[in-house]
Amino acid sequence: MDNKTIHHVRVGRFELLMDAGFGAQKAGDILIRAFARIGKYVFIEPMIPAEISPPARSRPALSGVIMRVAEFNLENIGNNTDVILASHEVVLDRRIDDEEYNPNCRILLDMCDKDLPSATYDNVLQRIKDLRLHIYPFEVAPGPQAIIKSLAGKAKNMYYLGMLACIYNAPEEFVINEIKLTFGAKLREDVFKKNIDLFGYGYQYAKEHIPFGYEVKSDPGKNSHEKILIDGNSALSMGVIDAGIKLVSGYPITPASSILHTLAKVLPSFGGMVHQAEDEISAIGTAIGAYYAGTPAMTCTSGPGLSLKQEFIGYATAAEIPIIIVDVQRSGPSTGMPTKTEQSDLLSVMFGSHGDNAKIVFGVFDIIDCLYAPQLARYLAEKLRLPVFIMSDFQTANSYKVLDKPTLFEMNDSNGISEFVLNHFGIERLPEDIAMVRTEQAVVGTPGKMRRVTGLNTDETGSVNYFARANQRSHTVRNEKIHCVQRALKQPKLFGDQKDGEVLIVGWGSAKGAVEEAVSYFQHAGQAVSGMCLRFVNPLPPMLKEIFSRFKHVVTVELAYGDQYKHAPLAMLLRSATLIDVQAIVCGATGRPITPRSIERRVKELFYG
Amino acid sequence: MVDLVQKTQSALTIKDLNTENPRWCVGCGDFGVLMGFKRFLVEESILPHETVNVSGIGCSGRVPFYVNTYGVHAIHGRPITVAMGIALTRPDLKLFVHSGDGDALSIGGNHLIHGIHKNFNCVFILYDNQLYALTKSQSSPTTRKGHPTNTQPQGTSLDPIAPIRFALGLGASFVASTADWLPDHFINTLKVAYAHKGFSFVHVLQRCPHFDPDNFDNKSSAWFSFLTHEKGIPPDKRLADKTETIVHDPSDEAEAFRFANSQHTHFGLFYRNPDKPCYDEMIRQRIVKAAKRQRSTILDSYKI
Ligand SMILES: Cc1ncc(C[n+]2csc(CCOP(=O)(O)OP(=O)(O)O)c2C)c(N)n1
Ligand code: SF4
Ligand SMILES: [Mg+2]
Repeated sequence: MDNKTIHHVRVGRFELLMDAGFGAQKAGDILIRAFARIGKYVFIEPMIPAEISPPARSRPALSGVIMRVAEFNLENIGNNTDVILASHEVVLDRRIDDEEYNPNCRILLDMCDKDLPSATYDNVLQRIKDLRLHIYPFEVAPGPQAIIKSLAGKAKNMYYLGMLACIYNAPEEFVINEIKLTFGAKLREDVFKKNIDLFGYGYQYAKEHIPFGYEVKSDPGKNSHEKILIDGNSALSMGVIDAGIKLVSGYPITPASSILHTLAKVLPSFGGMVHQAEDEISAIGTAIGAYYAGTPAMTCTSGPGLSLKQEFIGYATAAEIPIIIVDVQRSGPSTGMPTKTEQSDLLSVMFGSHGDNAKIVFGVFDIIDCLYAPQLARYLAEKLRLPVFIMSDFQTANSYKVLDKPTLFEMNDSNGISEFVLNHFGIERLPEDIAMVRTEQAVVGTPGKMRRVTGLNTDETGSVNYFARANQRSHTVRNEKIHCVQRALKQPKLFGDQKDGEVLIVGWGSAKGAVEEAVSYFQHAGQAVSGMCLRFVNPLPPMLKEIFSRFKHVVTVELAYGDQYKHAPLAMLLRSATLIDVQAIVCGATGRPITPRSIERRVKELFYG
Repeated sequence: MVDLVQKTQSALTIKDLNTENPRWCVGCGDFGVLMGFKRFLVEESILPHETVNVSGIGCSGRVPFYVNTYGVHAIHGRPITVAMGIALTRPDLKLFVHSGDGDALSIGGNHLIHGIHKNFNCVFILYDNQLYALTKSQSSPTTRKGHPTNTQPQGTSLDPIAPIRFALGLGASFVASTADWLPDHFINTLKVAYAHKGFSFVHVLQRCPHFDPDNFDNKSSAWFSFLTHEKGIPPDKRLADKTETIVHDPSDEAEAFRFANSQHTHFGLFYRNPDKPCYDEMIRQRIVKAAKRQRSTILDSYKI
């Protein structure tokens, strides 16, 4: 097509929607690898159904991938989509519900099933029209159709990959090379060839028939570092190895299982083991047993498993056994939405387990944090002999991105933590003389130092002691461990250069990318808006009250429910810590990540309306 | 330090193993178990610093406090989970798990199933006083039918779970039974259990005179028999000539089930399978078999 309109953009976002099991994510993966190789930065978010193979052409079957490509380092999946390619109208209809399209979003809809006795095509086409989005219905020609049929419908993703590659001007040879790397060794030669042919057909079709294209600018000069493409859970798994953790025990649960899967394959090569326990209680018990016996150990889980672990978490606090817990948050309560993201475990982590039990809780901002978090967690757990929580979430765990290959540290003991990692997380080295409830903390096997640990209260000799003073002392000592971390934390950084003013936007963990982008938007527009994102939520960093009081409004954005009568979790925490009227302005439990745009909209509505 | 080294080399005595005075009721069967356990450690010269006792919560759960070794007094029902972590990572340690009938068969039943199934190396001692003692007499899974407790004052309604059948049914590699008031038999049972590699399930009838003084008539021996074998456990010295003794080959699983199913009580070694693989060892073998890698290579497979 000669009269194509090419849009030149710095960043583009597009999606591929298919039925589960037909390879949408695989196609996305190939495409962004190709982009990454030509020096672009990519961020990719898979959309995964909670069931294995929901019936095709049903709303629950939606399985897809959102891709964001840019010339600059991407911190999040962005706001809205420019181009959607859907394999049929049902998945499209379902996805439109999420309202993540741009006003001028272009939708490519495969009309393959239009002859089915259903009125849904008409309804969906009408819906798109009503929304004033652009629709481009297309059909796969009989030639490629026959190939797809010969492969039991499975390889249609390659055709779509071809279309998207053409529309986004990904060099054909790079994509073909990635297809080879992905399937080359796994597929029979004839099957592999059919895949490549389908890719070619799709590419050609888009070239001849799709009247638009996108060109994402690139700046090859600033992008010559060695690169990796990695998702949050894989980064965390590799971080576990780098941190020298030698036992990881867990019970399968989405979205934490992939940590077990990844490590089960490789941890033995680094002298460690993965243990699949009979339940989450057992998983943490085993990690605690290992740590008591001197082996750095970790357990990973998500909401329902977190609930089961609570008793042991308080036990570890009382018995002064280090333990690292990874909570990859998903939507709750109860089984909730296993493949949707949320940040609503904050309070159950902070205040879970009974009695007053001290623990450290920090969230990860992004994928690079996932890589370094296990080192920080190990350092804190061993120095303080307390439970340390790494809080991730579905979104962070499953998103992929390209990043400059990070430095590794090969931590061997807690004192061996690198300054780089401490700095990265904004914390100073802890003092050497942190007091423990029990003076003797010898590791099992040390002659002459035999000691028994217990969840009962003890005095400093380790003897069970129910006297008032002894119990009060234990609480003081344990809480002092937390306070000493607070003293070591640096003041949180504000994004941009607005140090005071109208509105301060506060998020925690994975909200960082969206907050930062929204703040940059407002500051470019000359508005007195600033923002920060917290990693540490227990303890909170120092000086919050002082920083908050420099702004007229302090608001939170978080992926947890709040309304007029109920403060969202982070807002509740910050209010109690600062006595400042912090209000949550983005506090939905929609299962979708926070977008910069949603923050911008709310801030404008409330403060610049 | 010199002192310590010498101490670990000179003969171990009961005194070395003492800590504080137990806080149990007078006449409690746990005293017998504790004493037998210490004598066993001494007779086998098991070094205290290489020994870990792991327990749950209950009167019996206090045992680790009273033995001067390493110990973990964990949470109710979960000692097996903690012991698993120790077994996986420290095969050099001598591992003993102490668990009450409520701890092991009620709240911790799931872990007992999987401890037996995984057959990780430890001696598991089930203190069966047939009730919840520490919480002041409630029905447990092994309380005899009709026995009144605070939660079932009308009498416990169900037939009890039979621990030996439970263990055999799950394919335990080692199943033995003994009693707190048979010191000689108890110690010999521990010795055989300790010598077995795998999850050695030792069922101990334990008296709780405070809440159930009539249970377990330790003055007579007519209500039980000893299972013996040249490769098993000899009958209790004191009772050998007064008590029925049955020769039973511990490799005979069908016979073991027959004894376990009978209404009569048997003490001794029901079953032993030295060939059942141990999960902890298999997991460690994965490390041995895996191709060694440098930590600096972890990101290689993610390179673009
Ligand atoms: C999660 C939990 N639930 C309940 C308890 C209270 N509790 C302590 S010991 C016990 C029962 C102990 O019975 P058993 O295991 O038979 O030990 P025994 O005291 O008879 O030796 C219970 C219910 C607890 N500690 N933890
Ligand atoms: S209550 Fe029973 S089991 Fe507990 S110490 Fe007293 S006698 Fe022993
Ligand atoms: Mg009991």
